[in-house]
Amino acid sequence: MKYENRRPVEGVNTTRVHPLKQFAQLLIGAVLLIIVLAFVLQISGSALAKKIPFSFEVAVMDKLDVEFGNPEEHPEIVAYLNELAQKLISRMPVPDGMDVVVHYSPEPVFNAFATVGGNLMFYQGLLSRMPDENTLAMVMAHEISHILHRDPVASLGGGVASTIALLGLTGSAGTGLAGNVLNSAGVLTSIQFTRKMEQAADEQAITAVNGLYGHVNGAAYLFELFSSKRGDGGSQPVWLERFTSTHPRDTDRIESIGERAMLEGWRTDGALTPLPAGFKSWL
Amino acid sequence: MSSITIQAIGVVVLLILGYSFGQLAERRHYKRILKREEETRHLPVVASRYPPEDEGFQQVLVCGNVVIASDYFKGFLAGLINIFGGRVTPFESLLDRARRESVLRVKARALELDARYIFNIKFETSRIATGRLAAMEVMAYGTALIATENKVANEV
Repeated sequence: MKYENRRPVEGVNTTRVHPLKQFAQLLIGAVLLIIVLAFVLQISGSALAKKIPFSFEVAVMDKLDVEFGNPEEHPEIVAYLNELAQKLISRMPVPDGMDVVVHYSPEPVFNAFATVGGNLMFYQGLLSRMPDENTLAMVMAHEISHILHRDPVASLGGGVASTIALLGLTGSAGTGLAGNVLNSAGVLTSIQFTRKMEQAADEQAITAVNGLYGHVNGAAYLFELFSSKRGDGGSQPVWLERFTSTHPRDTDRIESIGERAMLEGWRTDGALTPLPAGFKSWL
Repeated sequence: MSSITIQAIGVVVLLILGYSFGQLAERRHYKRILKREEETRHLPVVASRYPPEDEGFQQVLVCGNVVIASDYFKGFLAGLINIFGGRVTPFESLLDRARRESVLRVKARALELDARYIFNIKFETSRIATGRLAAMEVMAYGTALIATENKVANEV
């Protein structure tokens, strides 16, 4: 018997497709899929989370027993902050039973935040830079607005829903390299979503500040403070900063306060209310 | 620059490097494979388990194995294909190269032994790297049939 190996036809075991073309098609498809999925889950997750009664939020937080600073160590500042919060709440459409509790932390962090269960946290780093009560009231009203809009629980619900789904999807992306990039795409869309909350909170807050003081002087100064603290984006191009940041750009916020005041006919030059005499020593 | 931007730039750089070097290596390898296949075509490789019975042969086991690595671009593309399904085309050429290279190495060994045929050729494939590094080993082995001295003498 005669044996021979004839020359086989090339390309039988490989598919003829240009890798770059395939790469572009799949990448665009995957990014679109993730953006749509993250968006849908964010919206549905936060909409569902908002259905959770506020009392349940409070009950869960009580059960978790989260530490929010120590009010006995700084009684004056905690009392003052809560008093200011109550003044602002009386000017805001906060429903009965939605209790807001302000906490204080002596850490030098330039920030304040609102979290589930109607809890607000103010840091010494932020309070020590407050020039007057109007600016402080703007921060306070902004954080109360988050509670009023149920943003913390909505963000948590939307975040949990989209993260679980994205982990399921990108976790199966084999090598994990593609997964990392796709996860970043998901994060960007979820940030985009929280920024809308920030804008809504700004609008609600400025209305409350105007209601309390009769003018909005000092409110915009808050964002100037943030701006000087951060250097307002630095080297990033404006469009990239707008897309990647959780908060609206400081200059955009200052502008929108001015526009809103003009539109509503609010005064921007009223007398500023000073902080209480012992304010700095309470911190 | 934010960490996301840095990460994105890193991924793009690795993709470009992976694509250019990966494609270059693949093209060169295929060129070498085709050349060597042509040069060794006179040595038949047969899948049958039954050697020709009309003459006597000395039988020797011959092996050839190769480890071939994927590149960043192929790995990334395979990850994307994993989402939608379908043929994992970037790895098809990788495996094709590995199989053909291993047979060429078997042939090289058999030619050293002056074999006339390689019978009962078989392949083994295993993944030898996990995680981000993807590399596979393909081993081909078969029985080299070397014409015995007396048979050669008879022919003469």
